[in-house]
Amino acid sequence: MGDPFALISQWFTNLLLGWGLSESAATVIRLLVGAVILATISMLTVVVLIWVERKLAGRLQDRPGPNRAGKFGLLQPIADMIKIFTKEIVTPAQADKTIFHLAPVVFIASVLLMWVVIPFTATVMGANLNVAVLYVVAVGAFGVVAVLMAGWSSNNKFALLGAFRAVAQMVSYEVPMVLALMVPVLLARSMGLTDIVNAQSVWFIVAAPIAAVIFLITSMAEVGRAPFDLLEAESEIVAGYHTEYSGMEFGMFYVAEFLHVWTIGALLGTLFLGGWRGPGAETYPLLGILYFYIKTFIGYFIVTWIRLSLPRIRIDQMLAFNWKFLTPLILVVLIFTAILDKVLEVYAVSGWGHALSMLALNVVIGWATVQALKKVEKSRQRRRPEFPPRPVAVAPKSE
Amino acid sequence: MTDTTLVAEHPLLERFPEGVTPDERKGYEGFIVAADRLVEFATALRDEFGYDYLSSVTGVDYLPDGKMEVVYHAYKSTGGGALVFKVQVPRENPVVPSLVSVYPGADFQEREAWDLLGIRFEGHPNLKRILMWEGFAGHPLRKDWKEAYFEEEKKPFGSRWPGGAVHRAEDENPFGKNVVYPPDFDPEKWTPVGDEALYAGLREFKKDDDLKTEQVVVNLGPQHPSTHGVFRMVVTLDGETVVRLEPVMGYLHRNHEKIGERNTYLMNIPFTDRLDYLSSMSNNWGYVQAVEKLLGDKIQVPERAEYLRVIMAEFTRIVNHIFAIGTLLNDLGAYFTPMLYALEERELILDIFEAVSGSRMMCNYFRFGGVARDLPPGVYEKMRDLVFERLPRKIDELDRYLTENEVVRARCEGVGVLTPEEAIAFSAAGPVLRASGVPYDVRRADPYGIYDRFEFDVAVRYHGDVYDRYLIRLDEIRQSIRILQQALDQLPEGDVIFGSPKYSMRVPAGEAYGRVEGPKGELGFYVVSDGSANPWRYHVRAPSFINLTALSRMCEGDKVADAIIILGSIDIVLGETDR
Repeated sequence: MGDPFALISQWFTNLLLGWGLSESAATVIRLLVGAVILATISMLTVVVLIWVERKLAGRLQDRPGPNRAGKFGLLQPIADMIKIFTKEIVTPAQADKTIFHLAPVVFIASVLLMWVVIPFTATVMGANLNVAVLYVVAVGAFGVVAVLMAGWSSNNKFALLGAFRAVAQMVSYEVPMVLALMVPVLLARSMGLTDIVNAQSVWFIVAAPIAAVIFLITSMAEVGRAPFDLLEAESEIVAGYHTEYSGMEFGMFYVAEFLHVWTIGALLGTLFLGGWRGPGAETYPLLGILYFYIKTFIGYFIVTWIRLSLPRIRIDQMLAFNWKFLTPLILVVLIFTAILDKVLEVYAVSGWGHALSMLALNVVIGWATVQALKKVEKSRQRRRPEFPPRPVAVAPKSE
Repeated sequence: MTDTTLVAEHPLLERFPEGVTPDERKGYEGFIVAADRLVEFATALRDEFGYDYLSSVTGVDYLPDGKMEVVYHAYKSTGGGALVFKVQVPRENPVVPSLVSVYPGADFQEREAWDLLGIRFEGHPNLKRILMWEGFAGHPLRKDWKEAYFEEEKKPFGSRWPGGAVHRAEDENPFGKNVVYPPDFDPEKWTPVGDEALYAGLREFKKDDDLKTEQVVVNLGPQHPSTHGVFRMVVTLDGETVVRLEPVMGYLHRNHEKIGERNTYLMNIPFTDRLDYLSSMSNNWGYVQAVEKLLGDKIQVPERAEYLRVIMAEFTRIVNHIFAIGTLLNDLGAYFTPMLYALEERELILDIFEAVSGSRMMCNYFRFGGVARDLPPGVYEKMRDLVFERLPRKIDELDRYLTENEVVRARCEGVGVLTPEEAIAFSAAGPVLRASGVPYDVRRADPYGIYDRFEFDVAVRYHGDVYDRYLIRLDEIRQSIRILQQALDQLPEGDVIFGSPKYSMRVPAGEAYGRVEGPKGELGFYVVSDGSANPWRYHVRAPSFINLTALSRMCEGDKVADAIIILGSIDIVLGETDR
């Protein structure tokens, strides 16, 4: 047996029982300790992520990135933390104080709660919920409430505008996101994340690439990362919903946002890239954790890369993109995936045969979409007036 | 190159036998128009004589004559020299009819003349202070107005002169005692009246449809990440849509022109650097050109200096445009990446500026009759390398990364459209004008320096939106590189300054308007000399300031995110806007 996590858990429970605690009390304490460890590790990940993000941003922008504090600037996050902890927390005079101070807590909680269901290995996870996908969506939507709370209670017009945008954006992007999540659920025939991982003898990215891309796009919108960072568009509405926050309360929004992006990576890894699966992961669970982190980083890197490369789109364009493109597309994908899946089940095709048939379906749908887009592009008149040419202004020669 | 010789038999005099007389003072040009005929005159000028572009409006206080003069410079948008006309009114009660109805571009400039000189423009729709606040007593550009720490009329001040004991007026007049408010003004009770009126005026806007919504007034600025400084836009929003926009400026005002009138002629050269601090070389040129016009035959610029001027001005244009593209992308939300790519090239050009002038930003390189220094060894090769090798490659790279980007196109195309007619009427200049399909470039339309020797095309685009204003900057960079390649190939040997460098200048009495095609548009300097060592009047026609006149027209009906990029596409620098 090579699962050190099960051993530790077993040892800890036995220790508590040995102290004379009842079985149920020991379970409660064990779960509590587990939750604390999980939350702490998640938060500590953010410390590393801040460095990674800054370094990545530096390299992508043709500059070194942090390189003063410590070797390769590794101590930069520590310096950042010291700074942010020592800053004063300012509350606006006319703010609704209770809601104002509650909002960052709710926000960070909504992100942390997602980590409950994410399987690090076959056995290490907060809870093996059988409706984990539903749970992730529900808890993620909780963040919208926090944003609205923050925006409304700040008594600031920029914050309010940010909150307006957040509600419009997050609520509408939830639709294609849920539909995209239905595809792996359909393929795995379960809503539990462990079951989904177990079903991925062939990664779902092969069978459902369109759903994976749409999930990535919609979850970027859900987090509010560029090009969808309208809720905190710094060039337009200063900092959006967290304009009035300072010190560690701002820090909580900041940390939660980083963690949320990391969570997207984790979900993408779990749902489409086979989660902890990889060579040797079943015998050595530690390897599983490594694979899980690598896959999570892939998603995280893509999101960061896009953020640093693309300008922001406008709110009406963003909603149009969602309702006129993403939602119909994912509906088509979902329906055809369901039909094909049933057909393949009848003919008892599974494994690679199943995955490749699905891939073929995706390619066909993708090709059809591109053709349709090209047609629309041609017929679409861009709203641009064109003025008649005039002669170039030149000085009269005669003088 | 104005029609000075033709003034006496100009057809305008036939058209207006009464009320219009040639300006016959020595060193002056143009016409003097009676105040009551002004609107009629300007309308005829625009509609019958083709002078449809009002470049500059400013006032001059002729204290000894007891007169206040308003000076207008009008051009034809098809090219050619200026037509200058003036209105003279008594100093005690200076009232001039407003020309906003004829030339909408006079709007801000007339407000500025009211603010700084106290000339009342009758019929102006919104005549209130623009650069100062309501609690400011007096009109500072009047010659009898003295500032709080007034020392002497003219520089150099005796107290600061080496050898004399330095004492400062500030020490004798403690802070707090130096503030004068207008009568019936109490700062304790003051609520920004202007603001209230602003907001009240904004609230009147009604919508036609049935949906019941509330409009919000949002202050974008003065502390806002995307206003490029301390600029403020009061925006009425209906949801995300801009219903009305009102620009408010003056937060960086330092009365550049008053200081400039105290300075000696030479002292003003480094002072112009501080206007548009991104393109100090072009600013130098505009001012130097105006003064050289006044000096007339007394000064000739050597060949090599002419070439160096062109080289530096074109490098400045590249610096400015590359920076403008970077900041525009920032306004679009691109998180600094294009900005940093653009800044790299800017730094390399600033290296050259530093080598020739000793400073990266405040270059102070031009002199009357030439430039300050010759090129140090090695700089010529460096410039060749940049112009022939690196810059064309890097501009293509920027083009490849940005131009066809779907998000950039979706955000910029069809946003903030300004038609050619509006652009001319609002006196828009530079890239804003040319992106609206008006191929007007001072370098071609009214050539100065040696621009008539170079081959280049006037960049022009025909859609008038933000995307075209972005593209035109790329086009202009390419044209600048073309000019630079020719200039570097032809650069002759020789002196770089006429005669020996002089500290003090005797400038003959008269007036001159020097204008150059600055990177942000037509940069004009109107200088009046009374024959002494200091200019009597020193006025800057700031493109950043005047281009803003069209801002609210461009923004209305667009989204708030669009308003930001429209402002970014105008490309203002607050040092120049507020002066």
